[in-house]
Amino acid sequence: MLSIQHISKEFGPVKALNDVSFDVPNGQIMGLIGQNGAGKSTTFHSILNFIDYGGSIQWQGHTLSASDFDHIGYLPEERSLMTKLTIEQQIIYLARLKGQPAKVIRPQIDDWLERFAVKGTRKSKINDLSKGNQQKVQLICTLIHQPDLLILDEPFSGLDPVNADLLKQAVLAAKDRGAAIIFSSHDMEHVTALCDQLVMLRKGDVVLHGTLDDVRDQFGKTELFVTTDWTAEQLQALAGVGSVTDRHNHRYVLHLTDASAGPAIFDALTQGHYIEEFSQQPPTLDEIFRLKVGEEHV
Amino acid sequence: MSKTWIVTFETYLRQIKSWSFLFMVLGPFLMIALTIGISYISANSSSSSHQVAVISDSAVLRKSYLQQHPSGINTKITTTTKAKKAVKANHLAGYLTLDASGTQLRGDYHGSTAMDSGLKAKVQNFLMQYQQLKNYQTAKLTPKQQQALAQTPVLKQHIAAKTGTSNLVKTLSFWVLITMIYIILITYSTIAAQEIASDKGTKIMEIIFSSTTATSYFIGKITGILLVIVTQIVIYICGGWLGYTIAMQNSGIKKLVLANQTLVKGIFHNLFNLNLLYVLLGVIIYTILAAYSGALVAKAEDASKAAQPVIMLSMAGFFIALPFQNNLDAVLVKILSYVPFFSSYFMPMRIINGTAGLGEQISSLVILLVAIGLFALYIGRQYQRLMLQTDSENIWQHLIHSRRRS
Repeated sequence: MLSIQHISKEFGPVKALNDVSFDVPNGQIMGLIGQNGAGKSTTFHSILNFIDYGGSIQWQGHTLSASDFDHIGYLPEERSLMTKLTIEQQIIYLARLKGQPAKVIRPQIDDWLERFAVKGTRKSKINDLSKGNQQKVQLICTLIHQPDLLILDEPFSGLDPVNADLLKQAVLAAKDRGAAIIFSSHDMEHVTALCDQLVMLRKGDVVLHGTLDDVRDQFGKTELFVTTDWTAEQLQALAGVGSVTDRHNHRYVLHLTDASAGPAIFDALTQGHYIEEFSQQPPTLDEIFRLKVGEEHV
Repeated sequence: MSKTWIVTFETYLRQIKSWSFLFMVLGPFLMIALTIGISYISANSSSSSHQVAVISDSAVLRKSYLQQHPSGINTKITTTTKAKKAVKANHLAGYLTLDASGTQLRGDYHGSTAMDSGLKAKVQNFLMQYQQLKNYQTAKLTPKQQQALAQTPVLKQHIAAKTGTSNLVKTLSFWVLITMIYIILITYSTIAAQEIASDKGTKIMEIIFSSTTATSYFIGKITGILLVIVTQIVIYICGGWLGYTIAMQNSGIKKLVLANQTLVKGIFHNLFNLNLLYVLLGVIIYTILAAYSGALVAKAEDASKAAQPVIMLSMAGFFIALPFQNNLDAVLVKILSYVPFFSSYFMPMRIINGTAGLGEQISSLVILLVAIGLFALYIGRQYQRLMLQTDSENIWQHLIHSRRRS
């Protein structure tokens, strides 16, 4: 388990992290979300000891040190490889630095290239690959030594939906192996699809922390999805409805000011008859993200 | 295999396989081959326009000159008319007419330019000898009288052979050694600084520092570069030995080498003793400094500027050493022979000239070794922060803070 306790970091007058705490148990995926500059990369740099910080970071019960490096897979936010090397040379060099002998890694390379659908052979120069394929090679370098702790900084950025799915499968496979995984993303869809837990940072502070359901439930079931012949104006006039979003073809989202207004609205809309859609849900992660970001500007 | 060695070999192989290394190693061999080739072609194709003709009514006189000085003569031209035509057509540099009809010998040179000093000396010498012979014949001197007149004064230099060679050995050893140090430092300071600076701020460094410690990586890089230097030196030693073996096939060169065996052995002795250790340690400390310098550049694009401070320091060592080669008792020389970065120039100078005792040599070596160790440790500790640019401290703030931290 990765345990982060009360870590703080300042860059001059700027407080980059302020008393951040969370755990990532083995076999779980933690999503780290927040706007640019919220402190996500600083958190990763602290875990990897790239910077001095206050607080404590422990891995499997001890302070993370050089002896743990072989068990870490790290993907930095910006992609960077040694462009003069071939794919094979690059993967083997980085794997050897992770304590894996070349003879163990070499036979696996073709499988990994196939799994990530890399357009190129093991002898292709990194320099000759497209940006997307370079990114996939970098992902292979991060995963091939089967790390127990995966740290992925914006792993989906720049990937098309097909390649994003390939990455998701690889991350879930690592989770099934029992790896503790922490990744940052601006795309709430990926976070929702993958994460067991999430932490939202805002200017270095933790503003949200918990499982996806816990976080959503904190905000109450204030989103009501309905399909009805009523007009938006009629719906707006119902008690407990704050605003209405028209989804076209008689489909609406009612944003409730009070979740307990749901049953009364149900009765009013159905009047004992069949209704095609009535679903009361908490806000989506995307909406929560916007809400939390918006709080800052209030 | 340790991660340091993995970095070492990666650095080494990347450098060795580069075109720049190939050109750097082959460069001197190509230059030597080119020089020899040009000299050979030049010697064999010296056009007739550089030759002169010798013309005389006296066949004996002309034959005598040609026997004494056969080189540079066009023997086919024997008449003034032909010679004039050849000069005019630029096929001949000039012609020399020798006249022995009277009691006084006379030589006249006709050419588009003045005689070169070598030819002039040859002609004057020949005319003097021949005139003397003729004078003796005219004077009808007895052999005894001739012998008496042939007496010339004697001027001999009495130089103690051992001391003379020894001084030459010292001078040549000094020049070979400091030039060798200087060239190696200038070349590899740039390579080391660029090797490090090109990684500056790149995200591959984050991946690497999540795999191995910065100190281990830094030492691996430096060792890799040092292995490249050793490879180049080994190639030069092998190339030199091969060249020597080939050159010794030439009887002229063999004779020259055998005649100067004491000199050659003396120089080799001065190079392959403690001085070689100074060269190696000097290269190590300058390489570390160059690497540090590379790590200090603001961004990877500034890599080419990174080596400048190290080159300046190396040049300072070289140029300060030059004026002191004949004044090794100067206090400055003694001080600098203990100061790291300068001791690699100054202590070998003192060792070659026998002005440094064993105690002084060992003290200087220990200081240099300790300086290398501390310097490598200090930079190794700062290396990650410098390479990742994880904070906004400038060099001075960083130096102050790192002092506080330690």
